[in-house]
Amino acid sequence: MCENHVINNIFTEFQKNMDTEQEIREVIRNICKDVGQISREATTLLQVIHHSDNGIMAACSKARDLFDKARQGYAKLTEAVPPNDYYKYQEHWRTMTQRYCFLIALTVWLESGILATHDTVAQVLGISPIEKKTGFHLDIEDYLNGLLQLCSELARLAVNSVTRGDYEKPLQISKFVMELNAGFRLLNLKNDHLRKRFDVLKYDVKKIEEVVYDLSIRGLRPKPEAVL
Amino acid sequence: MPGPGKHYRGNRKGGNNSGHTLASVARETATSLPADSPVLAIFKEAANKLNERQDRHERLVKLSRDITIESKRIIFLLHSPITKESLENALTEAKERIQKLINGPIRSIGLELENSPAHLHSRAVTAGFQEYIEARTLLSLMADKRIITYPECQKEFEYNITDDDNQRPVVTMLSESDYMLGIADLTGELMRKAINSISSGDSEECFLACDVVRHLYTGYLGITGSRLLIRKLPTTRANVNKVEMAVYALRVRGGEAPAPLLLATAPAEWEAPLNLSDDEGYY
Repeated sequence: MCENHVINNIFTEFQKNMDTEQEIREVIRNICKDVGQISREATTLLQVIHHSDNGIMAACSKARDLFDKARQGYAKLTEAVPPNDYYKYQEHWRTMTQRYCFLIALTVWLESGILATHDTVAQVLGISPIEKKTGFHLDIEDYLNGLLQLCSELARLAVNSVTRGDYEKPLQISKFVMELNAGFRLLNLKNDHLRKRFDVLKYDVKKIEEVVYDLSIRGLRPKPEAVL
Repeated sequence: MPGPGKHYRGNRKGGNNSGHTLASVARETATSLPADSPVLAIFKEAANKLNERQDRHERLVKLSRDITIESKRIIFLLHSPITKESLENALTEAKERIQKLINGPIRSIGLELENSPAHLHSRAVTAGFQEYIEARTLLSLMADKRIITYPECQKEFEYNITDDDNQRPVVTMLSESDYMLGIADLTGELMRKAINSISSGDSEECFLACDVVRHLYTGYLGITGSRLLIRKLPTTRANVNKVEMAVYALRVRGGEAPAPLLLATAPAEWEAPLNLSDDEGYY
């Protein structure tokens, strides 16, 4: 029956395409495994900021080396992903990319105290910041998610720097995070994963505020001229 | 000790602490922000990008819903005819309405997504496309006795847009998985069609539909690696069962069915139980 033949064709074609897709996924998964490993290394490395002031700059430069390695991984990824299919396979590198956005933003902040822009982060990873019809890029939502992770990490850092006797850093952190908080309020977030992550921000802000408050009432807050 | 502790905290909350309350510190930091700070500029840009994306998504969801509604109506139209003449009329009308969908909302989706990455909004449009494929394949099956294939469907979505003397090709991307999911839904429609055709006495139609459903189900059994399709498999299985039971009933109470159809296959069916009388229970 001719019907049979057409239906068979439909299914064999589909299975063929599914198999190709699976192969692409396999390649992507392998690359992401390697690049993800580098991100975990960098995360561990940067944990030093919580217990040693002196190690920070060295950790930053080591992290930069790891970012260079990650850039090579992202170059491979760019090649492996068909130009049309960024959002088809995005789930494979999404978490990892968010992690990198966080790590890069943290490194930039530790080095210079400023906020890494979307363009800067994309540049460090060697990918395009602009969303076009085709090609690999840094998704804006992943960048914003990375910034939210940064706020959580800084809240921890604020507490730990007080423990270390550094009373100036919490104020710097407070100013920075409040600025980010004000920024995030400009965003019109839907009820999605970014929104869920954003809801954590208020607890980070609260934590930092409490540290600043504790410093203030005890007169430990450094004056502009004379640092206590 | 809890007592003094509580007392101390109470004091801290209500007492005089030289103007430093939690809120005041927060307010101080917030108000010290310059309105034109680079950080805020970054976020303003991000807000624009996110808004644009959300608006586009909403518009696509709306278009998708329009397609779903119209496709459902077309399917209903295809189910309604009973006589041969009304069938012809229904097919012509369905064809026209499908064409209107292609040149209306589906074209708008193509234009809407012209400059954005494929798959970013696939979730917004998948429902509409699945329903459309259901209608389109049902129509092709009834009009030409064959299922329209994925490349053929995709080809219908190619447009030549002319504005300001410029011609440019625009394609509305139809994903293959939407097509396959649509076909999975088609089995449900064929099941209904088979059962309707029994009541209208057209048993040939019923056997044909049963055949197609069975082939489709066989095909789906062989597919690996698509989670969405596997989720639809139980429904497809249920549809196959219903159709097969209907066909079975038609055979058993064959008196109502037209004679030529039953005669063609009857001998083989009836001989088997006679020869293997032990196996009666099996039948």
